[in-house]
Amino acid sequence: MTTTGSATMSTRTRAGTVPGGAPWRAVLNLAKVEAWFLVRSPLVLAGLVSGLVTIWAWFWLNPAQPMWWVADWRIGAAQLILAMTVLFAAQLAAGRPRRDGMADLYASFPATASTRTAAHLAGLAGVLPASLVLAGGGVALVQLRHPIGTPNLMVLFAGVVLVLAAGAAGTAIGTRFPHPLAGLLGALGLFLPVVLETALPGSAMWLVPWHLHPDELGWIPGRLAGYPPAGLHAAYLAGGAVLAGTVALALTTRGVRARFRALLTAAGAVGAAVLCLTGVLQARPVPVAGLNRLTAETANPISAERCTTASHVRYCVFPEFGQDLSQFEAPVSDLLALLPARPGPLTVEQVLLVDFNDSHLTYGYSQQQVQRWDADSSASISSSVIGLLVGQWPASGNLADADFQVALATAVWAVRISPVTGTGQCVALNQAREAISIWLAILAAHPPAAKLQRSLGWPGGSGSPIQVGNTVVSAWGYPYAYQVTFPGTQFTEAGYLLAKAMTRLPEAKVRQVLTDRWATWLNPRTIDAQLAAALGIALPKTPAPVRASGPVQLPFSVCTS
Amino acid sequence: MDEMTMTVSTRTVQVDGLSRRYGAVRALDQVGLTLQPGITGLLGPNGAGKTTLLSILATVNEPDAGRLCVFGLDARDGPERTEIRRRLGYLPQELRYHRHFTVAAFLDYIAILKDIFDRRQRAEEVARVLALTGLEDRAAHRIRSLSGGMRQRLGIAQALLGRPELLILDEPTAGLDPEQRLRFRELLSDLPGDSVIVLSTHQADDIAAICPHVVVLLHGQVRFTGTPAELAATAAGRVWAADERDGRAHLSWRGGDGRWRHIGEQPPVGAELVTPMVEDGYLMLSHTAGAR
Repeated sequence: MTTTGSATMSTRTRAGTVPGGAPWRAVLNLAKVEAWFLVRSPLVLAGLVSGLVTIWAWFWLNPAQPMWWVADWRIGAAQLILAMTVLFAAQLAAGRPRRDGMADLYASFPATASTRTAAHLAGLAGVLPASLVLAGGGVALVQLRHPIGTPNLMVLFAGVVLVLAAGAAGTAIGTRFPHPLAGLLGALGLFLPVVLETALPGSAMWLVPWHLHPDELGWIPGRLAGYPPAGLHAAYLAGGAVLAGTVALALTTRGVRARFRALLTAAGAVGAAVLCLTGVLQARPVPVAGLNRLTAETANPISAERCTTASHVRYCVFPEFGQDLSQFEAPVSDLLALLPARPGPLTVEQVLLVDFNDSHLTYGYSQQQVQRWDADSSASISSSVIGLLVGQWPASGNLADADFQVALATAVWAVRISPVTGTGQCVALNQAREAISIWLAILAAHPPAAKLQRSLGWPGGSGSPIQVGNTVVSAWGYPYAYQVTFPGTQFTEAGYLLAKAMTRLPEAKVRQVLTDRWATWLNPRTIDAQLAAALGIALPKTPAPVRASGPVQLPFSVCTS
Repeated sequence: MDEMTMTVSTRTVQVDGLSRRYGAVRALDQVGLTLQPGITGLLGPNGAGKTTLLSILATVNEPDAGRLCVFGLDARDGPERTEIRRRLGYLPQELRYHRHFTVAAFLDYIAILKDIFDRRQRAEEVARVLALTGLEDRAAHRIRSLSGGMRQRLGIAQALLGRPELLILDEPTAGLDPEQRLRFRELLSDLPGDSVIVLSTHQADDIAAICPHVVVLLHGQVRFTGTPAELAATAAGRVWAADERDGRAHLSWRGGDGRWRHIGEQPPVGAELVTPMVEDGYLMLSHTAGAR
């Protein structure tokens, strides 16, 4: 070959173009554009809004006070919704040239397919604002509910990594499959294993993009060391993102330099290694020390709680829950102020109901070990203790139900009803003290009248028949959304109706009657009719007790002490 | 090919021994060409290999054999191919668009793909090609709202981004109305004379109007290179005008004046010889190639 002309390369350079190789500048410039497209993408915005609405629904439609060790993980679950739409948007972007019939034109440009793919991957920075707004908005929405604890930044970070990893996966899919259906299926594919996680063995739940149902966290009084394995899961997702990005680039690196191919292979190997290693590491069982501690805390909560005494009542709460102490105290103090006399010392303490058989908590341990934990964690609550279940206390603003339940539990203690017997639960059937306890609780906590009105029509609670001894009677229960006290007490409709009649009398008159013969009223043998007579009212009509037609499983006994 | 001696110029595009097959179909067969600065019209029937040739010139496709040298740069070499692409503007035959992009955003995006990184210069360049193609008032419109003709102009606009030294236009006037075609001719005429422009079209009158050079591609082979006048001259003495149709003609059709135009070896009865046009030359060549 002979060459004419003074140079191999033309000396003429177009305005604005870069004469030498400029793949990185092309990547950066294209990435800016792609990022801006993603920022404004209706899909991404829809994901953001859906995520925020989901967080709002989780924490604002649910009356329970959020606990950050559940809430931060839930915010990550909301990021999954954004991740799905980001995957779809990234797939659409990466498949755009082929889908729009412009592949030939694009192939004529100096910016190669791998440059464009790299730009799409770098452009995923455009979803960061949405992801950060979702995380920040989620934190704000939770914070407004006065949650317990503080958010774990690593969990929130892992949620952001989830979105980026989904974007990288979308880019890889779009590079190979430009049809929108591929993006849709990819998004659903991201969600499907999460939905199916309950069918997976416990340790496998970390292999799905996000563990969507962290319900087991809602019953523990704080963070368990290394659980959930947020850092490892973030690394796991990052490994997946690197691998997906590498696949996307590998699909478009026809004719690139060997050095770049080697770099890509190395990156892919690192991504795969991180994915596998963290996949194995995060599936390790929850450290035995943590579960042992949880067992001990469940069996004997006071061992881990901080206790204070106010008005001769001992309050014990787990360290994280100090802020709720005044809320626990209020209904107890209000009720104690109504009592003519106290039966003895009272302790109000938080209690745990942890299900150690939940494989999401105890995966990796033998059934024998799990049963041992389960047995070791069983606690018995004395009659001088009012237990408050961790995870059930309502967010401030919804305290009426909880206050009434605590007041009722305090009143039950005050009238010396011990609802738990050695063989099960008992009911203070036709005992004046039952109506007195309900009256005291109504007076102390002032539950909403409408709810009290509804309390008789509550399905499964009030009005439903229960067997007490050999008798079937009509039950009464307050229609609360969550049971905050433990153990609960079963009341009868007759007791409630008498208490309701008492509320129509002047308070001073009722208090006088009660104070005059307090010891008598607390006697299990003092019946409703005697109390009604002392108050000068007719005994409210209740459905006549019916004899049980046959043996009923787990009937209530009559409280005798 | 490596042993082939080829004189390479930094001002021309040279094609040598280019062949390309699609399965059993031979799209290009040993095509050799030198494209000089100025406009070269590429004529040929459907399936002649025009689009394949243009896509190889645009470095989109690679030939099975042969060599492409653009301004002294070898398209087989990676870095040189990239440099060719920097100097290239290409309008493929069937171009759909990112329909949700605005016109300006689309051109800006393409400008980045063409390595125009400076934002200000990119904006100027986009404004320039919009003005050239008469799309200034459509800059903010989404592509999906454009008519077919406007989209074709947008395709031309993107090809003109970066003032390419090699401009490859595959049927650029398809979908344009007569006025737009005239504007297109005007546009091409205004381009720098030292650019190499290759224009594939079925419109022989476009070739006659604006192309100093013509290449006729038939059955994957170059059958003619020269000027439009020379192409027309290939039919000299074989184009006739008569009042009646003559069955011996290779081709005949009735013109707007009601007289029959015949292309053939034998003059029809009462016919008079007329000066051939580019179209006549092309048709004569097509017929001859078909007869072979």
